[in-house]
Amino acid sequence: MGKTVFIKDTTIGGKDRTRDVYGILLGVLRERGLENNVQLVRVVDIGVYGQGVVVRVLPENFLYTHVEDADIVGIVEQSLIGGKPFAAKLVAEGARQLRIVLRNCGVIDPESIEEYIAKDGYQALAKVLSDTPEKTLQEMKTSGLRGRGGAGFPTGMKWEFTRKSPGAQKYIICNGDEGDPGAYMDRSVLEGDPHSVIEGMIIGGYAIGASKGYFYIRAEYPLAIERIEKALHQCREAGLLGKNIFGSSFSFDVEIRLGAGAFVCGEETALIASIEGKRGYPSPRPPFPSVKGLWGKPTCINNVETLANIPVILLKGGAWFAGIGTASSKGTKVFAVTGKVKNSGLVEVPMGTAIEDIVYGIGGGALAGKSVKAIQTGGPSGGVIPKEHFSTKVDYESLQQMGSIMGSGGMIVMDEDDCMPDIAKFYLGFCVDESCGKCAPCRIGGTQMLRLLTKVTEGEGTPKDLEQLEQISHAMQKASLCGLGQTAPNPVLSTLHYYRAEYDAHVKNKKCPACKCAKLVRFLIMSEKCVKCGMCFKACPVNAISGNRESGYLIDQTKCIRCGQCFEACKPRAISRS
Amino acid sequence: MEKLTKDGLEKLRQQHAAADKNYIKVGFSSCGIAAGAQEVYDVLCEEVRKHNADVEIKKCGCVGMCSAEPLVEVRVKNMPRVFYGKVDKETAIKIVEKHVGAKMLLNDRIYDMKVS
Ligand SMILES: Cc1cc2nc3c(=O)[nH]c(=O)nc-3n(C[C@H](O)[C@H](O)[C@H](O)COP(=O)(O)O)c2cc1C
Ligand code: SF4
Ligand code: SF4
Repeated sequence: MGKTVFIKDTTIGGKDRTRDVYGILLGVLRERGLENNVQLVRVVDIGVYGQGVVVRVLPENFLYTHVEDADIVGIVEQSLIGGKPFAAKLVAEGARQLRIVLRNCGVIDPESIEEYIAKDGYQALAKVLSDTPEKTLQEMKTSGLRGRGGAGFPTGMKWEFTRKSPGAQKYIICNGDEGDPGAYMDRSVLEGDPHSVIEGMIIGGYAIGASKGYFYIRAEYPLAIERIEKALHQCREAGLLGKNIFGSSFSFDVEIRLGAGAFVCGEETALIASIEGKRGYPSPRPPFPSVKGLWGKPTCINNVETLANIPVILLKGGAWFAGIGTASSKGTKVFAVTGKVKNSGLVEVPMGTAIEDIVYGIGGGALAGKSVKAIQTGGPSGGVIPKEHFSTKVDYESLQQMGSIMGSGGMIVMDEDDCMPDIAKFYLGFCVDESCGKCAPCRIGGTQMLRLLTKVTEGEGTPKDLEQLEQISHAMQKASLCGLGQTAPNPVLSTLHYYRAEYDAHVKNKKCPACKCAKLVRFLIMSEKCVKCGMCFKACPVNAISGNRESGYLIDQTKCIRCGQCFEACKPRAISRS
Repeated sequence: MEKLTKDGLEKLRQQHAAADKNYIKVGFSSCGIAAGAQEVYDVLCEEVRKHNADVEIKKCGCVGMCSAEPLVEVRVKNMPRVFYGKVDKETAIKIVEKHVGAKMLLNDRIYDMKVS
């Protein structure tokens, strides 16, 4: 393979020198008559951020950062001619992803069972079926895999409980209800590698002694449903579902049930009620589903990502899996990194990876011109983690210590423009909308908290309201029937804990430091800075700005809806926001 | 397909094991489709037919770089495997002409993120 050189100026702010460096490199190559032997390529993203000019030499994959013009001759002579690293600027590759769950996503055609099989698909099932279910349970316990649906309960133990529960008929359910705002890992796995989840489920069925499985997928995921349907059909054709799989005595089949989009139906007891055709109300546990679940029979409920891990674990062994991650959290976790981040998308990293490596190293940090303030994990059941604590490692315990949770894997990046009481209000509003209303602490407590938070964000709050917020939070945590109500106060408590000053500013000074809360901000044109370009006039969606290019412009505060469009549109920053 | 036995599974695996072939993959999950993967796919197919290019066009799921969709992965023998992001019609045409045809990588289009 000939040499290829990738070039990208990753400096944040300032002039992009990618083209300049490209030109200089080309010149140096021409002097040596090498311009036809080396491919120079300007790339959009080089996987490294804020490290000055970055150059990557392939096929050796030498990575150079903070490259100065004076280094270029050295890189050409050492690496491109000599094939050796140019030591002065060489760096090791930064934070890397490790793909177990997403191993086939974006790699194979999800609608082709042959391509899945070519990637060792269904080998684990074949292996498992030639041994006892107990062996599989043992392997799962060795692996240390914990449920990825939120609670983090050890999967091997859950399987064993279900297996040991008395009863001839048992069920396994795949929870594909994924309702957390900002989370879409499960959708991506169902769409990108449906067979991995199905294989995990068949293995689970064998291990717990179930002959029947259900996919519970939210109806908002039509493509996921279509691909699972197609994959199930292929399995039946190939005899991977049905009677006597691989000639063993094990028979198993799967049906799909659609969720109608209620968040609470992701909760396991509500989900079971929903499959049974009843209203999606949670019920008290115990009895746990592993004892008395679907139609009163022992039932195991696993998350999509949990199941996608299973085939790899059983093929490579529990000990292999247990070698990845931290002492108590094994394997990898997929995060849906979204919000105010450069590269939003899915990221799979080993447990124990630092938040900063995910947000800056892989996510590329804040959007242009902004700075990251915090992340939110765990969705409406989680909390925020300020950037000062980004050295925190992602595993179940560490995140919990920080007052957040792993949750299902949503990771929303927030920047300086995000207001914490407003964020808390958003998540609480979500829970109030989604509360099923069965129990009073959640139904009434949530509504009251939302009322208080609305007061705060509108500048009507009092210090007493903050106290009351905390009191109701604790009551809801203790007394709610299901996880929704028990965890709904978490975003409020965590923002109160880390950003008390921001709440105080709203309550005492009637100010929103992030200039987000519409009732508390004001936009004003500073005539001394204004160049009378009229951009704000054009940008205002409600015609609150009047004037012309001679006399200048004025914002009518009674018409202004505080959307901030003019503020964004004004190039010379002549509009103040306070 | 007939009912699989263990031997049959192994045979299938070997049969379909990745051959050393040129390919173009287009991300066809919700994120890719929403960003316009279908048009990109159609253009690619059309161009490959036109140029009778030695490359297979495939669909795949989402590789995770959702913000750069439509995403196209190109692998041509003796060249680095790369991802083109935010691919539009023009880029799709150039991928077939320049990358696959002339064996030249495109400038200002590659997203060199290490996903695996
Ligand atoms: C309100 C609420 C919503 C939930 N939503 C989901 C969900 O969308 N997907 C999921 O896998 N688990 C969800 N769970 C967790 C499930 O109850 C259950 O713990 C999980 O599916 C078990 O699978 P696991 O052991 O593989 O994690 C939710 C829990 C609560 C309380
Ligand atoms: S906590 Fe909320 S969602 Fe859960 S049962 Fe009570 S009212 Fe319903
Ligand atoms: S956009 Fe800014 S500079 Fe232009 S008229 Fe409005 S306030 Fe003045």
